[in-house]
Amino acid sequence: MEVLEEKEEEEQKEEELKALEISSELHDTKTKLSVEQICFSSDVPDFDWNSIDTSQLPDSYKMNSPREKKLLRIADHYHQQYTHLCPERKPLFLHPVNECGVEKFVSTTVRPTLLPYTELYHWDGCASFVSDYLTMEPLKCPLTPPSSLYSPTTILKYQRGNCFDFSVLLCSMLIGAGYDAYCVNGYATHNICSLDESLEECPLLRKPQEVPKEDVKKSNKYRVKSLPDMHSKFELQQEAKKKAETEATEKKERGERDMEAEEPTCDHLCGLRVHAWVLVLSGKREVPETFFIDPFTGNSYSTMDEQFLGIESVWNHKNYWVNMQDCRNGCKDLVFDLSDAVHWEIMLSETDKPLQLLLGAEKKNELFDRNVDDMEEEEEEEEEEISFAMPPSWVAPIQISPKEFETRCSQGRKVILYKKAKLEKWAPYFNGNGLVKRLTIYADSNWTEAVEVKEWFKNREDMLDMREVNKQTQLTTEYFSPGHLFGLKVHAYKSMNPQTERVMEFYTETRVDGLQKLAENASEMKEYFMGRDDFKYFQHTEFRTKRKKVTLAGVGTDVNSRPIVQIKECFHRNLQKPADEDIAERVFLIEEEMIQLTYHLKDKYITASKKDFFKPTESYRKQSEIMTPEMCITYQAGSSEQHTKLVHLYKLLQKLTEEEKQLKQQVWRSQAEVLKILEIRENEEADIKLSASIYDTERNEKKRQEYEAMMNAKKDEFPGQNEQDLDYLAPFLIQMGSPEKMTRRQALRLRDNCLSDFKNRLVSKANIIQARFEKEVEELQKKNQLFQENQNQLSEKEEADLLADYSETMFRIHILALRLDREKQTAPQKYLALEEKLRKDPRLAEHLGHA
Amino acid sequence: MSQSDNSFEPNVIDDEMLQKAVEEQWPEDIRKLAKAEGINFKDVMELQLSFRNILQIDNLWQFENLTKLQLDNNIIEKIEALESLVHLVWLDLSFNNIEVIEGLDTLVKLQDLSLYNNRISKIEHMDTLQELQIFSIGKNNLTTLENVVYLRKFKNLHTLNLTGNPFCNEEQYMLFVVAHLPGLVYLDFKLVSDTTREVAISNYHYLTDLLEHEEAQALAQLEEKQAQQKELEYHKTAFVEYLNGSFLFDSLYAEDTEAAKLAYLPGVDDLLQAYRKDFVSVCENLFNYCLKEHEKREAEVSDFYEGLREVLTANQEEGRRIILDFENQNRTRLDEIHHASSHDTAESMRAEYNEDILQLSETLMTLEMQMVDQLEELIKEFERNIAVITSTFIENVKGMMTQCRDLENRHHEKLLEISISALEKSLKNELDEELPDDVREFLVDKNTIVNMVNKSHNIHLLKISMRECDILLNMYHWEASVKEKALQNEIDRNRNRIKEIFQYIDDLQEQLDNTQIPDPTE
Repeated sequence: MEVLEEKEEEEQKEEELKALEISSELHDTKTKLSVEQICFSSDVPDFDWNSIDTSQLPDSYKMNSPREKKLLRIADHYHQQYTHLCPERKPLFLHPVNECGVEKFVSTTVRPTLLPYTELYHWDGCASFVSDYLTMEPLKCPLTPPSSLYSPTTILKYQRGNCFDFSVLLCSMLIGAGYDAYCVNGYATHNICSLDESLEECPLLRKPQEVPKEDVKKSNKYRVKSLPDMHSKFELQQEAKKKAETEATEKKERGERDMEAEEPTCDHLCGLRVHAWVLVLSGKREVPETFFIDPFTGNSYSTMDEQFLGIESVWNHKNYWVNMQDCRNGCKDLVFDLSDAVHWEIMLSETDKPLQLLLGAEKKNELFDRNVDDMEEEEEEEEEEISFAMPPSWVAPIQISPKEFETRCSQGRKVILYKKAKLEKWAPYFNGNGLVKRLTIYADSNWTEAVEVKEWFKNREDMLDMREVNKQTQLTTEYFSPGHLFGLKVHAYKSMNPQTERVMEFYTETRVDGLQKLAENASEMKEYFMGRDDFKYFQHTEFRTKRKKVTLAGVGTDVNSRPIVQIKECFHRNLQKPADEDIAERVFLIEEEMIQLTYHLKDKYITASKKDFFKPTESYRKQSEIMTPEMCITYQAGSSEQHTKLVHLYKLLQKLTEEEKQLKQQVWRSQAEVLKILEIRENEEADIKLSASIYDTERNEKKRQEYEAMMNAKKDEFPGQNEQDLDYLAPFLIQMGSPEKMTRRQALRLRDNCLSDFKNRLVSKANIIQARFEKEVEELQKKNQLFQENQNQLSEKEEADLLADYSETMFRIHILALRLDREKQTAPQKYLALEEKLRKDPRLAEHLGHA
Repeated sequence: MSQSDNSFEPNVIDDEMLQKAVEEQWPEDIRKLAKAEGINFKDVMELQLSFRNILQIDNLWQFENLTKLQLDNNIIEKIEALESLVHLVWLDLSFNNIEVIEGLDTLVKLQDLSLYNNRISKIEHMDTLQELQIFSIGKNNLTTLENVVYLRKFKNLHTLNLTGNPFCNEEQYMLFVVAHLPGLVYLDFKLVSDTTREVAISNYHYLTDLLEHEEAQALAQLEEKQAQQKELEYHKTAFVEYLNGSFLFDSLYAEDTEAAKLAYLPGVDDLLQAYRKDFVSVCENLFNYCLKEHEKREAEVSDFYEGLREVLTANQEEGRRIILDFENQNRTRLDEIHHASSHDTAESMRAEYNEDILQLSETLMTLEMQMVDQLEELIKEFERNIAVITSTFIENVKGMMTQCRDLENRHHEKLLEISISALEKSLKNELDEELPDDVREFLVDKNTIVNMVNKSHNIHLLKISMRECDILLNMYHWEASVKEKALQNEIDRNRNRIKEIFQYIDDLQEQLDNTQIPDPTE
């Protein structure tokens, strides 16, 4: 019976199919010509899907289960009604053939899967993975949906597919991750359909929108009136006018130029190009707003986006909906409430919502009853249809190995062209230098004249994160992650030669000296500090340049080759000191033998106190006068001629002189450090090493060896452990001649022997420790005696040696005492434990169990 | 030379000794310099007077800024004459013959005190030394271990030396001290180990717990008292001290003996209760109003100073900018003048520079004049606002006080009525109640009783007026002082700024004058 029925069904289906084909043919006659043209003009993909191996695929791929067959029948029925109702619309995309040539309903092709990667837990991670992992193939005919839809597993295996394949895979992953996602069959612009982003700005270059800061300044009623403005307002107005005019003309010109450059090509097939993408409804996973994801780019779009021109139908793993809304205005006005039966025609009435089920069913019945007369005989079936649930997906579980996940792009590389920019992506570890991303910015739209290159790196041992090369200025800027040897954060330079222009920034928190930034060029060095205890925040050193020498020496190795002209330091205010004792600026004019101090401003003062020291010359030093009033010019703000004592000045000068020396050293040290950093950087660049996580046993060779060695060692360590524990009775059994069966007396003897032997062992162990302990003590006494006797004759070194020896002996004695103690404590327990064990031994149990 | 007689003869600190001691502290090179300049004892921060056989401390009052004083190894018997050394942080009096701790009350900054090897028998008189961190009183004559509890006062005390005192021989000495001084890190040159501390605490917790409890209570009381004091202060600044509640009403009757007698008349008691209720509620109103006004005044004043500060900061920045510009422009000018090619060019350059300096002076002065004008306006506005606040305040207070007076008048009338009716009744012998004799005495004729009631009434009116007067006077005084302060501040600021500008300009010109220029060429 069943077989018969099936046959009937199949026949029926075939008929329906034919009818469908015919109707679609008829329907398409108008556009057919153009379609064919397009079909031919489209590029023939270099991959032949016919050559794929389908023999290994599971059975579910090759045949339909009864439920699936029924589903197909329902779908056909549904489609008939649909074509009847909307004859002017294109046929639905319902059950294309899969890779094995079997018709499968689209909903069953969606296989919800949550993959074990944290990145794939969010929609953007999934979307970027899909867009990276798969290679895009254009539709064979851009105006009709494809005739086939392969399973996501096959698509993953060959890493290529068209927009429908992309969408189904992405949708499967999103539903698996808990999103309310749907595949959409609809129409989009040429740029979207053909993955042409060359007119779009690169997302990496988009500037984040600045949030205008609100001025929360409370206005005080006590304000001074501003001074009357003496400028002519007329002149200002004239100027502003002029400016506006010039700006306007400039803008116009620029606009014209832009217009020329970006003349959008008019697409005569606009609105007919078929595309598939993913719709994510709000609600689940805290998605606040419904949005689209284009699977090719992995970008999200608002449902109002103008690039999406219309929707035919949507489906997920449970159901299929046809859009009944007008798409003349694109997707702007669409309502995405899928339970709304007026806007969305559902195929299987939802089973998990009983109320709606009834309502929906009635409505549908009414709707169809009104229009369709020849459906009466199928009334029964329809009743069935209502309660029919979507059969489980025929697709095998989607699996992505960690390696595949990491490698991402096929062949490990992907290139995207944007407007005046090119983005290249690689899998981590694919490039020897750790390069994962490169963005090239061009001056022109043909991608020929590079202006700027940005490269991102990953897993580098030198922590290089990003490198920016400006081709016009030849300025290279390198950004580092935390963890570089010198706390390097940013390094901007034009050449790696020392004493040329460069800026280095550091991770301040990792540096003892609080250095934040160091800017250097041929004649000066500027250092910026943060969070120092001495409140210094800036230091500026000027050097005397020796141009000839530099050119001759090339890479100057002698750090001290540049004599210091002056060092200037700036300090923040230290609130613990009074303002006119707190130095704000300190200048050491080394060549002029002068030191200038400027103090912080006192409250409400506008002049800062100052002290200028002239260092004593040699002739002065010989004289008895070490400090004269002429050596220091003082300006003390706000205090009238309160003369500072020479003693204090002298002390200050001494201190300053000392600090000057240290400062010079420090400058040389920083110079040396810069050289060192340059050297290290060069070495690092010359020999790039990539680090691998210690959990990554595939890459981390050393770790893997260690791990394997450890495993082997573990195996070796207890070779027989699993087979047999050490038999503590064996020696005694042998003594007794290993009798097959023991008498009670024998058993008791065996036990006693065993226990006494154990006791002896414990005692002897304790004795050994005791003996060693005594020996050590004796030795110690001997040494002590020796030391006492010879104390006076010993040299210092010998004494120290003796003392060291003494303390070591003491240590040993201490340890021995501890061990002895422990032995004494644990011995009874061990004894008892053995006794217990013996009692439970199966060989002795029958004799001792009740003893 | 004097070393020998030093060792025999007791000394008193005199100027000569001090001079020498100060000089000895410096290294050779500085000493000469300092000697040439003359020594000012005020500048000396540290002083060492050890091994000088000093018997009596004296003449140290000049060392106002001294932070460290060593008087060890002398024969001092009494701690004295140290009162003026208030900045002292470190005081060493070890190896002397001191018997009593005293004379340290003013040394509130003291952190390190050594009284090692003296003859002290009691730790006392140190309550003010709250900064004390290190205290050495070893080798003395301390006998009672309980005396150590005194040291609990010093919350920062971390190092203590008690060795060589008689009580150290007591068995529980160490544990007792550690238990009672939980903040101690070092005791008798040794680190207090955790185990010792644990043992000590477990041994003595019954004692220390009690102490801690007492201390906590004392602290709580003190805090409460302070809080009360603070509130009272706050009320005083709002001119409403003792106005909330029935303070004022009670004070009305405090000295009024007549009223007390009248209270015995029938019906007066009820009347008094009602009167009291009304009066207190008016007082409460007044109190709350005054507090609110106080907040308003404070806000006004702080607004003003906030605005003033903004203006002044802007002005300071402007002035600073002008001066920095000038300095940057003329950095090398003096050098140029000094190295000018000839006398004539140097002269002309000098004149030019002088001109520039004058120009700068002019600019700064203009800025200051503008500032003065602006601030004058600001202050005037402030004064106007203050005046408005004052007048409304006074008006309202007067109104409320009038309410008080009305209440009193009404009360007076009713009282009079009752009194007269009581008198009539008493004359007719209709009074049912027994009245005390002295009250009965008044109920003889109308004049007496009326006089008595009037007298009481007058006392009350007087008290109310006095209170009113208090508040008003305070308010006037406040207004005057706030205005005065604002004006004075401005005047001071202006003077200082002018002075500063003059000084700066003078300094520039002096530098210019001191610059040597090439001699005129022959």
